[in-house]
Amino acid sequence: MKNHVILRVVTKLLIPYILLYAFYVQWHGDYGPGGGFQAGVIFAAGIILYALVFGLQAAEDAIHPRVVHAGVAAGLLLYLAVGVVALLLGGNFLDYDAFGHHGQHHGILLVETGVFITVASVMVTIFYSFAELVRSD
Amino acid sequence: MDAIREALSWLFIVPGALLCVTGGIGLLRLPDFYARMHAAGVTDTLGTALVLVGLMLQPADWTVTVKLAVILFFLYVTSPTAAHALIHAAYTSGHRPEFAKDAPLPREVESR
Amino acid sequence: MIGEQLIGVILLALLALTAITIARLRNLLATAMLSGIFSLLGACWMLFLDAPDVAFTEAAVGAGISTILILATLCVVGADEKQVQESPLALLVVLVAGGVLVYGTLDMPRFGDPNAPAHQSLVTQAYLYSANAPAEHRETQPSRDAHELETFAVGIPNTVTTVLASFRGYDTMGETAVIFTAGLGVVVILGGARHRRFEPSETVDITPSDERPEA
Repeated sequence: MKNHVILRVVTKLLIPYILLYAFYVQWHGDYGPGGGFQAGVIFAAGIILYALVFGLQAAEDAIHPRVVHAGVAAGLLLYLAVGVVALLLGGNFLDYDAFGHHGQHHGILLVETGVFITVASVMVTIFYSFAELVRSD
Repeated sequence: MDAIREALSWLFIVPGALLCVTGGIGLLRLPDFYARMHAAGVTDTLGTALVLVGLMLQPADWTVTVKLAVILFFLYVTSPTAAHALIHAAYTSGHRPEFAKDAPLPREVESR
Repeated sequence: MIGEQLIGVILLALLALTAITIARLRNLLATAMLSGIFSLLGACWMLFLDAPDVAFTEAAVGAGISTILILATLCVVGADEKQVQESPLALLVVLVAGGVLVYGTLDMPRFGDPNAPAHQSLVTQAYLYSANAPAEHRETQPSRDAHELETFAVGIPNTVTTVLASFRGYDTMGETAVIFTAGLGVVVILGGARHRRFEPSETVDITPSDERPEA
């Protein structure tokens, strides 16, 4: 990809917008279409685009595979933690009303963040794994 | 005022749609890969741009107009890039246009 | 109205055409690209049915990520499908299964029928109510007519998000666990291929330990 000057410039221009859009989808999911799953996939798409154009090494330098592996578990753990905290506050498991007045808002936002982290990490993990297979051949 | 806007909007949409159809016909009928990519490029850029500008003029919420403008910007950046990447990939992998079958390989391929 | 139906028919026809082309192609690279197109058409169809959330997911996952992941896989395994003998029995099975599915749809209510059970159910009404009632509503002004529905007031305009993350939080948790398991599986099978490559001399002994000859 060394000679794709146009591709590199345009990708550099686009990636911030892709990542920003992922966060928009994430936090605007309460009011419009979208949510953690879609946002995670869009975020992962941004990372994968970076890896495709600038090389796997550059992407792994930016986001280390170990960070991604941790994210795979962290998202699900965050989701479970929300449920457990609701239990500790006296509600049922995943009963966001236990979080107080705007509990539903906060609970949904936290849970969607968990989904976002897991989905984005899993997509990037799968891509890294396959790309490493190709590179080591 | 709305009537003028409406008329102006269709003045953009109809040529845009015609260009899209032209691009589609070109994609099917033109002789080789590069000519077909040219046809697809026409659809991607001017065709969709005219349709989007026409839709922007339709009387609607201003947020819709802004969203369409953003879509137009991204289409204008990404479509030519995608076309360029495809053609670049085809050329470096040794595909040659109909009219220049003996064109030399670019340096980057020879040096590999 | 006719125009709207025409769009639906054209979209479904394109979907069917793409599916048939995918089934007939032997080049997996082209199949991957066509499955991306199939997903994009599916997203258009979902949008046509006023389901922007599903359309969004389909466009992002089906047309975006999964196409790239399939291409990455094809980079590893090669892009030619193994030649298989096509048996007429397979076609028969597919036709019978398809026929049964089509026969099953005959009992369903007409598309968009307001009297369909799905639209009349209390659950649906509660979901729709939750989207329209602000969170403050249930504490300050409980309306008597909808008292039963009051408990569902969440105050989040996007019903899909509310249903997915709140009412059906358990389901979404399971889904997240499924994605987690998928990622875990890929990491366990492929991950660290770079670090832990077996040297040719380093073979693995898979005979059970009690059957191994004493060394």
